[in-house]
Amino acid sequence: MQGFSELFHDLDEMTKTGDRLARMVEYFRAARPEDAGWAAWFLAGNRIKGAVRTGELRQWAAHRVSLPLWLLEESYERVGDLAETLALLVRGNQEAVPMSLSQVVEDGLLSLVSADPVEKQEILLGMWDRLRPMDLLPFHKLLTGGFRIGVSRGNLCKALAEVGGTDPAVIAQRISGEWDPRTRAFGQIVGEEGPDDAWCRPFPFCLASPLQEEPDTLGDPANWWAEWKWDGIRCQFLNEEKGAMLWTRGDESVGESFPELLGMAPHLPPGLAMDGEILAWGPEGLRSFSRLQKRLGRKQPGPSVLKKEPVRFMAYDLMRVDGEDLRTIAFGERRKKLEHLFEQLPAGFPLQLSPRVDACTWEELSRKREESRDRGVEGLMLKRADSIYSSGRVKGDWYKWKVDPFVADMVVVGAQLGHGKRANLYSDYTLAVLDDTGELVTVAKAYSGLSDQELKEVDRYIRKNVTGKFGPVRSVRPGLVFEVAFEGARASGRHKSGVALRFPRIQRWRKDKEPKEVDSLENLLGYARMGEPKQGDGPRTDDAGNLLLF
Amino acid sequence: MVEPLVVRPQGLYCPAGDFYIDPRGRVERALVTHAHSDHARPGHANYLVSETCLPLLKLRLGQEITAEGLPYGEIRRIGGAQVSFHPAGHILGSAQVRVEVGGRVWVVSGDYKPQPDRSCEAFELVKCDVFVSECTFGLPVYQWKEEGIIHQEINQWWSENALAGRPSLLFAYSLGKAQRVLRGLDPSIGPVFAHGAVHPFLPVYESSGVKFPKVQKPREGDGDWAGAMIVAPPAVEDAGWTRRFKGAQRGFASGWMAVRGARRRRNLDRGFVLSDHADWAGLLGVIEGTGAEEIKLTHGDGEPLARYLGERGIQASMLGGAPLRTEEE
Repeated sequence: MQGFSELFHDLDEMTKTGDRLARMVEYFRAARPEDAGWAAWFLAGNRIKGAVRTGELRQWAAHRVSLPLWLLEESYERVGDLAETLALLVRGNQEAVPMSLSQVVEDGLLSLVSADPVEKQEILLGMWDRLRPMDLLPFHKLLTGGFRIGVSRGNLCKALAEVGGTDPAVIAQRISGEWDPRTRAFGQIVGEEGPDDAWCRPFPFCLASPLQEEPDTLGDPANWWAEWKWDGIRCQFLNEEKGAMLWTRGDESVGESFPELLGMAPHLPPGLAMDGEILAWGPEGLRSFSRLQKRLGRKQPGPSVLKKEPVRFMAYDLMRVDGEDLRTIAFGERRKKLEHLFEQLPAGFPLQLSPRVDACTWEELSRKREESRDRGVEGLMLKRADSIYSSGRVKGDWYKWKVDPFVADMVVVGAQLGHGKRANLYSDYTLAVLDDTGELVTVAKAYSGLSDQELKEVDRYIRKNVTGKFGPVRSVRPGLVFEVAFEGARASGRHKSGVALRFPRIQRWRKDKEPKEVDSLENLLGYARMGEPKQGDGPRTDDAGNLLLF
Repeated sequence: MVEPLVVRPQGLYCPAGDFYIDPRGRVERALVTHAHSDHARPGHANYLVSETCLPLLKLRLGQEITAEGLPYGEIRRIGGAQVSFHPAGHILGSAQVRVEVGGRVWVVSGDYKPQPDRSCEAFELVKCDVFVSECTFGLPVYQWKEEGIIHQEINQWWSENALAGRPSLLFAYSLGKAQRVLRGLDPSIGPVFAHGAVHPFLPVYESSGVKFPKVQKPREGDGDWAGAMIVAPPAVEDAGWTRRFKGAQRGFASGWMAVRGARRRRNLDRGFVLSDHADWAGLLGVIEGTGAEEIKLTHGDGEPLARYLGERGIQASMLGGAPLRTEEE
């Protein structure tokens, strides 16, 4: 654990992503390759299964420190983390000769998997003698499987890429799926990029600008292609003989969460890159974004989740096919090739083509846009038929013509200090509206959209009106009313108010309003009902699941 | 058998001597174990404390109070009771109160720690029939390291921050913990500052032989705080007062920092496990060492300790009516 335990404790204490990244780079550079390989494997979220049952572990630990089991349980209740409780009780050996991570994994974890209970107890007693006090927390974290210390996979990839001088996308491909640090050396993980590695890198996403003028300023609608603006996760679907990947705009590789989409790879031509959106999609059609969250961050979902929370990939652009880069040809041409590709796909796949929203005039299109909320989409996308797939945002090529946001007045009931430029200023707010009994109920958290001057004024008010303290959050005497815009609302069982808002942000300070004048919860719940796609009113499909055009 | 002490709504009361120990409300005669605000409350007519506690008590409650200091170990007869103060090792001047009536002896620990602390008098073990023990950290997960190691950790953290050009803002309670922290600082690392609440107690500590590095008061407004160590009470954690220390790393010195969740909930960069209370082993050692036939536990959640002692044949229970406290740790 030498080096690794220090890394663990540092990462655990660090609060900034950049600090964690630098610390990981430092570790990977200094560590022996066999240790670095295991460290990367654990940080990537892998775990050794079946090492020990926690019930037995608790018993043996209690026995080891001569405490009754009930007292260990009491301690666990207070500490709230089993690995930490065990580390605090067992304490370890101050004089121990530091063991390497790979040695601990092989002697202390892998050997447990095949051992019988008597052998397991012996192995653990041996480990507790051989580990330093600072090794115990990381050791028990590895042992009990819960290894979460604020390192995202994206950040890990960046660290490994920096160490090997390669691309984070290449690393992401190399550490995805099943791998074993004993057979895949650390050098292979971080090694230089070969000619075969380039495919797994996503293209820079082509982005749309918000449409801020009337659409007829765009000229003849015949030169434009309209589609629904889907409310899902935008992704690039890459396919090559060696594998497939799904990349989000946030540079996260999320393929492992969506095996039914990666499973389509054998049916797709190699050398492929498509742009599209992952959507929650049940037998009844499109589902709201919130359903998709049940799939996100869940690696290798089980069959019941796959069945209950199905998804689809709604394709709307094609950047590469058969290895040929199509980005500089016109959107209309790319679209034809995409349609051609879909014609060759068998029916019933969770892949769909995003349909064109047909309209002869801007007026007609504008009326269709009004259907957005009922359809569960965010509005329309307008793509110029001759536009190339550019890197980033090129004004005049792609527009998002979203429906107007919802707006509600809310009162600040809690505040938290901001970060960065806003450190030491209360700039993150908890906002509430009135329920039907006239009580304030929390509905959203939002960062300030206020001017620097207003921010200071609000900060002063909050410091003078703190009424309580819950961790980093201060409760605040109601008095500040803000106008808050949000993209949608949905019913939520997890929130006390019963409603969760999407992208809430503060638009302005309503100094003219009193806390008792804020919006009602009933209003927000009404918006939530509007935001749900209506049964049978979403994009329609035939029995085989193919999309019927509107 | 008449017990020397009984529980009344105001706190522990001695009928034979007509006095209270660490009472709340307003009483005629209060024996006070130490100058923390959850033990030393204002409003009583007469105070009796240890000799070294007296100046601290007056700083806290005002110079005009009627208070007397008794040297450790000196026996004072109050009515039918014999009373003496013995070092509790919690903070400077902290005392256990021994009360003997008709040959029966109770010791009220106040807050205590048997672990060495060079900023106060060393804990003294006192034999008794009934021991009233605090149990702030009454679970085996609480095991303290030697204070020298913690001082090293703090200095190490400070020098790393100084190297990175950052101030170190270390929260520690203004009486006791702050002085203990200040005493262990290595002034070769950088300048040392302390919040105004900490300063008044420093001369009292110095006159008891505790040596501090040069401790300054932070000026108003912006300044160059890179490399500085600022010790401040946790009460100002969110106040505007800390805003001037831009880019500061925030630490907290407390026994509660033994558990990571406690550090995270407070949004701290670093926790130092430095406590002025007994840890689990300290509690057990002292409780057994007193030879008491009965243990009465005060302060918070003592159920697990009481049960554990019971299983080991030591009669222990929670002291009924013990004043609730806000933990100064």
